[in-house]
Amino acid sequence: MIEILQWATLAVCGLTAIARVPSLLRGENRSPFYIFALMTLAILLSIEAPYVVIDQALGGINLANLLLRFVIFATIFFLGIRVTKGFGAEGAYRLITGRAGMIVLLAISVAMVAVFFLMDTAGSSAGLVGPARRDARNAVLVEYYGAAGRAYPSYISLVLLPAMVRAVRSRLPILVRIAAGLLALGGIAIALSLLFPFIPRSWDAVEFVVNYTAVLCFVIGLALIWAARVQSSKSVRRQGTSTEK
Amino acid sequence: MILPAKAFQRWLQGIAPDASTADVCRVSGIKRTTLAQQLVRGKVSVTTVVSIARAYNVNPVAALAYFDDFRELAGPLPPPTRCELISQISTPDLLQAALARPAMDTVGKPGPQPPALSPTPHATSVKNWVDAIDDGEVRHRVSAATGVAPQNYSAQLTANRLSPELALATSRAAGVGPTGGLVATGLITEEEAGWPPGARQAALDSMSDGDLTTLAGDRLQSLGKVLRRQEQDQAQTEKIWENLG
Repeated sequence: MIEILQWATLAVCGLTAIARVPSLLRGENRSPFYIFALMTLAILLSIEAPYVVIDQALGGINLANLLLRFVIFATIFFLGIRVTKGFGAEGAYRLITGRAGMIVLLAISVAMVAVFFLMDTAGSSAGLVGPARRDARNAVLVEYYGAAGRAYPSYISLVLLPAMVRAVRSRLPILVRIAAGLLALGGIAIALSLLFPFIPRSWDAVEFVVNYTAVLCFVIGLALIWAARVQSSKSVRRQGTSTEK
Repeated sequence: MILPAKAFQRWLQGIAPDASTADVCRVSGIKRTTLAQQLVRGKVSVTTVVSIARAYNVNPVAALAYFDDFRELAGPLPPPTRCELISQISTPDLLQAALARPAMDTVGKPGPQPPALSPTPHATSVKNWVDAIDDGEVRHRVSAATGVAPQNYSAQLTANRLSPELALATSRAAGVGPTGGLVATGLITEEEAGWPPGARQAALDSMSDGDLTTLAGDRLQSLGKVLRRQEQDQAQTEKIWENLG
């Protein structure tokens, strides 16, 4: 079940990124492509089989996991910038790119890297399941490391949330409002992931569902905005020809 | 508003005793599937009755009066009030009439004779009608009488729509004749409502230069607000396309 969810999410992200290639080559609005591509890479690194292959190439000490965390940070950072700019949320934009955002990013990154090197990380294993089982100290460190990795995405999500709620209730085109709703839902899912340390071990599946819900909400939300643009440019063209007649 | 199919069948029997459903549809231009569906569900729409009545040369107001919910349309109807008549003049017509007044010209020469008034309804006829008969409390009374939330009522007015049920409730709440709202929503024409021919023109001619100019100014101002809001929405949407589309 979880495998299906993972591969399906990868497929959705990958296909959306590929679908953006033509507009990338035309040189129009490249950033959505990079966001989709980064997301695809992040999902690829969260799935056991490709993770192990990549990590072995990087030395087998789970550096790929650290890479994954920074890929996620980059994705969510660029996503936050584009979304706040697009939706005209200037306060949120400053909270991401201003001093506060930079301090949050730096502090979390330093803490995360530090904890990573404190751990005994030998033995490729997606989600660091192997190292966590090694001993009690490692298990605690993995928990902290995971929390640090989720902290920055949660920060951005919470910053975006008010603007998304406002957009849902605005008079924007209906597809854009649905997209804003999905982005808000994804943001809530990411923020909820901060509570993972408090849920019982046996509920692992919940963590997967929350994570992939967040990713799918973001991807589909962004794709919807794109679809809305395509739809509106088509209807404008149709109006244009009908008035020319 | 929905009319019970049984009463509809009885009414139809009265105006077209031998006509089959197919005949009725052919004469009135209603799609057969539409009417069949309404009959099966037991709910016939008001517009269906109006279309059929027109096709069989029956006054739609008299036709609607046959049904319980529209009983108040029966019998001699009070004439429209002056402000109702003026509310049903379109903004361009008002502006042209204002320009044709001698007072508008510095040398006191009247402008060219304005063209005849365009037929009802106009682009903001519903909202203008309610504003014209509103003593400040009408919206509350309508909401209390019908159970429709004030914001839903306002949303209909902004969209230049009003269900026949609410149109009648509004007339009742404002203490004016029941036809005004039906004309403003375009369900029936002013002629079908029994408004005297030229009544709107006469009401317009009776306005003083000052009243007419002030009213035209008010209409222009609210039109300006609507246009500016549309432009803002458009600009916001463009920004989203630019960043995320």
